[in-house]
Amino acid sequence: MQGGRREVWQRFRRDRRAFACLCILGAEAACVLLLPLLLGLDPYTSDLTAGFWAPPSAGHWLGTDDVGRDLFARLLCGGRVSLLVGFCAAAISVAVGIPLGLLAGYRRGAWEFWIMRLADLFQTFPSIVLVLCLVAVVGPSVFNIILVIGLLGWTGIARLVYGNTLSVREKEYVLAARALGGSTASILRRNVLPNAVSPVWAALALRVGRAILSESSLSFLGVGIRTPQASWGNLIQYASNLTVLTTRPWVWLPPGVCIIVTVLCLQIIGDGLRNALDPRT
Amino acid sequence: MTRYIRNRLVSAVPVFFGITILVFLMLQVVPGTITDLMGEQGVSSAADKAALEASLGLDRPLPVRYGAWLWDLLRGDLGNSYASGKEVSGLIAQRIGPSLLLTGSGVLLAVLIAVPLGVLSAWKPGSAWDRAAGVLCLVSFGVPGFFLCLVGIFVFSVVLGWLPSQGMYASGVYAGLGDLLHHLILPAGVVCLSGLGDLVRQTRSACLETLGEDYITTARAKGLSEGAVMVRHVLRGSLIPVLTTVLTHIPHIIGGSVVVERVFGWPGMGSLLFSAIFSRDDPVIMGVTVVIALAVLLTNLLLDLIYGLADPRVRYEEG
Amino acid sequence: MKRRILPLLLALALVLGLAACAGPNQEEAAQTVVRCGLSNAWDSLMPYNSPSGSNYSRIIYDKIYDRLAYVHADGTLDPRGADSWESADGGLTALFHLSEKAAFHDGTPVTAQHWADTIALLTDPDCPTLGRGAFSVLAGTDETGAAVEGESLGAQAVDTYTLKLTFKTPTTPEDFLLDKNREYYVLPTHLIGDTPASEVMELELWNAPVGSGPCSFVSEVAGSQIVLAANPDYQLGAPGFDQLVITVMDKSNLLTSLIAGDLDYYAFGGNASVEDAQVARQAGLEVLEGTVPNTFYELMLNNASIPSAEIRRAIGLALDKDALCLQSTQGLGTPTATDLTPGTAYTSPFTWSRDVEQAMELLRQGGYDGRTYKLACTSNRSGLAALMQQNLGEAGIAVEIVTVDSATLFSGMSEGKYDMAIASHTPGALPLWFTASRFTQDNNIFHVSDLAPYTEYISQIQTEQDTAVKQALVERFQELLVSERPFIPLWFGTTLHVQSPTVEGIDYPSSSFCNENVWDWVKQPG
Repeated sequence: MQGGRREVWQRFRRDRRAFACLCILGAEAACVLLLPLLLGLDPYTSDLTAGFWAPPSAGHWLGTDDVGRDLFARLLCGGRVSLLVGFCAAAISVAVGIPLGLLAGYRRGAWEFWIMRLADLFQTFPSIVLVLCLVAVVGPSVFNIILVIGLLGWTGIARLVYGNTLSVREKEYVLAARALGGSTASILRRNVLPNAVSPVWAALALRVGRAILSESSLSFLGVGIRTPQASWGNLIQYASNLTVLTTRPWVWLPPGVCIIVTVLCLQIIGDGLRNALDPRT
Repeated sequence: MTRYIRNRLVSAVPVFFGITILVFLMLQVVPGTITDLMGEQGVSSAADKAALEASLGLDRPLPVRYGAWLWDLLRGDLGNSYASGKEVSGLIAQRIGPSLLLTGSGVLLAVLIAVPLGVLSAWKPGSAWDRAAGVLCLVSFGVPGFFLCLVGIFVFSVVLGWLPSQGMYASGVYAGLGDLLHHLILPAGVVCLSGLGDLVRQTRSACLETLGEDYITTARAKGLSEGAVMVRHVLRGSLIPVLTTVLTHIPHIIGGSVVVERVFGWPGMGSLLFSAIFSRDDPVIMGVTVVIALAVLLTNLLLDLIYGLADPRVRYEEG
Repeated sequence: MKRRILPLLLALALVLGLAACAGPNQEEAAQTVVRCGLSNAWDSLMPYNSPSGSNYSRIIYDKIYDRLAYVHADGTLDPRGADSWESADGGLTALFHLSEKAAFHDGTPVTAQHWADTIALLTDPDCPTLGRGAFSVLAGTDETGAAVEGESLGAQAVDTYTLKLTFKTPTTPEDFLLDKNREYYVLPTHLIGDTPASEVMELELWNAPVGSGPCSFVSEVAGSQIVLAANPDYQLGAPGFDQLVITVMDKSNLLTSLIAGDLDYYAFGGNASVEDAQVARQAGLEVLEGTVPNTFYELMLNNASIPSAEIRRAIGLALDKDALCLQSTQGLGTPTATDLTPGTAYTSPFTWSRDVEQAMELLRQGGYDGRTYKLACTSNRSGLAALMQQNLGEAGIAVEIVTVDSATLFSGMSEGKYDMAIASHTPGALPLWFTASRFTQDNNIFHVSDLAPYTEYISQIQTEQDTAVKQALVERFQELLVSERPFIPLWFGTTLHVQSPTVEGIDYPSSSFCNENVWDWVKQPG
């Protein structure tokens, strides 16, 4: 890591695109967190006077869904869930993946061996079986979806870190540090980690988007976030009905746009972060 | 080197059995067995259920069942499907070809597009190539797979009428390569697009990383042309991460894509696994797990070997 | 392991090799093919060995194997395997005069002996069959349908083409067919030969079955696709196509494929919602409205965890069946107070209306303690569950929704894990179509503590011959159901059938009742 945290932040701020995206994402998060409270939106109660599948109106900005629930409220509350799933799942992936990847790549030997075997194991698991089982055992909750998506995602990160660590540990400055008698922990922290981990930031940002999309695919297969709880993933499912797809774009377009914007912002932020951390590229 | 390979092969064995035991245990935890689905039509009796349980051996204790399954596996028998009564190995043999065809061609297409695009966009950041790569990545990362399927069908089948919306063959049986390819384009296109983003980004960032290395500067200073630098040094230096990404798709190729296969009625492994889960067809789930597990273990072995070959500084003697 | 992997790899190489080498086959291309879509897979191709016993399997058996009759949606019957039938012995037996033209796909004529042997085989206690319960109406069987030793089985061949079925209680052949036709198939017993009953299910025959139905088996990718060929010698006429290809695919692609012209038909009549109908019409397809109810929705109650009849009645009164029905059927349904199918011979005087006040009063009487009930539903009905939750909430009943898949739902319900569950069924024309199988010791799905009052009525209704008395009994039985409320009937729904112009002659409504008139289907050229 070149320079301190402050310097990184300054480099990041100078990247106008990345900074703008951070602002958009922040605004989005603020919207989904605060707007339902401020506007008193209720995503769960059916408005039977408005009817099912009501088109957008003053009362329901995005109309109502198949049971007469306000879609705008569901979009915002679904955003909370989707962002939560995305960030928490990615956090779990990284929290598990980085240390294991580092250890495996640096310590080698038995560490490398068993960590990589563990990664094999996780990568092999048919994820839908795992999701179904977990959901069946502990109930279908947001927490379980996060856990499953997060735990299934760490192998990619770990392999990335592992691969980088393998190259980094043979680099001259690490060899030098080792020759100077630095402790493993300090070499890992000071020399290996910053260099092995900087590509991970971009991957991390992608994982958040991936997790949001994974949840959507799980919803399509009937094992994602269950209604009545809303998520962007299960809101966009309405598009699987030809009628909704062709005649009611206001139903599926907003969650679709939200997902795309979020993923795009995360990508650019990830790139910006990586560049700020590692100004050589 | 040989010792390393032998080590890896030997260690794959406990991992393989670990996977099967875990999946087996998980299946026991899921509520409901295939016998419960009989209740749906309201015509089954407890006698029927008991008969089914006994005939499938579901009334035996758990370790006995796992032992029996393992013993059969070692003798090369994956058992019979609870639902259709057919041999699991036969079911998998029927499904693995279409899966490989669909996902394999999708991923191959993705590699063919993504690697050049990634290299180009790393070479000239901000160029039209770079922007095209960005848009493709966005679609790939930002649009759920099932949505791509539905929009693809809507546009190319319903509105334009160019491509068939379902199945592998027009008449249910093989009727020429042209017919098969015609049916393959849409689903393989979706698979390609889903995998594309990851590949483009990995290639691009790997190339950017390598471009920052000292030896590239040296090569440039020596007066090598930009093209030669890109091909001879940058591409070679970026090989590991790109290969890693490509190879991690292999289990996915074998396992098939559940969503795409479901939507298009493609008879692959993914839809086999999916329907087996919902009908609690344990032998089929286990059989598919075994195949995917083998694929992953082999892939990972390959991956580790490639790390070694591509980066000679990685030594095998340790560990 | 390796031994099995090698064939897999070889198979793969073969597939790829074939794909690369084989050129287009002209003969194949000239065939007319009818392509059907199905949203769920069938299982075994042996009709008496289907673990799910689902309609998705039956619709396949309906093609390969022959049945006695063809049941129209309105409950009228047409000849199929049998040309005609008559009642004898004061209703205790039914004589079926079989078609003399019927033959198995291997050319062997179908005789009454085939039918008698089929039933004898499946009622053999050694035969590991599923769904034997269908035979429990026949004399000489116990309540599970297994033959009782020493008694003569109620299925005999009188002569080559006359089958005599003897019932335990007097039953008209029409009532028998309405109730059981979809579960009686004739098997090629001449191919089973001397195989012991206990090993019948392991025969290779069931992997490439031979039946006497309108289509013969060609090939199958289990769980994904089945290819059938038209049987040109079918006794009701040869189907107007060469091949029938049935593919399993996601619901979301059925209508689009029909519009795109890549499907000719989707099974169970091409059910469509009112809104899909508009899209289909815009795309130039014809949409036909069903006239006979083909779905019945109920709210299953767990009578053990909701022991008070007052509370169960309160739940019934608190539900806004109008809104629920509208949400689910978009106007193609009628809320109901009973499980008696409208338009059939038996009626009840009960009507339904929502009354939240009375529901709250009943809750007080029943001593509702404010506990939260668990309502289970499958994910496609979660909207319905949410509306119910709101309805019940207005009466003060707290409900938690559990969205599960159907295996979990039914196992949870029979284990008593849930308090309520939403289920739907294909209604029948007989007055006991719903209740008879659900109030038995074996299948007490509602967890009723004392089945006696129900079973008494059920057996009385089953044995009663006089229609007027029967009607009166049905009314008294419904009275009991209304006061005890072991389950809550919600509504009967009809459906819309989207018709593709590519195939003529499909009897869409009857397909909802698990038989399809494929022999009348004609694929249109072009």
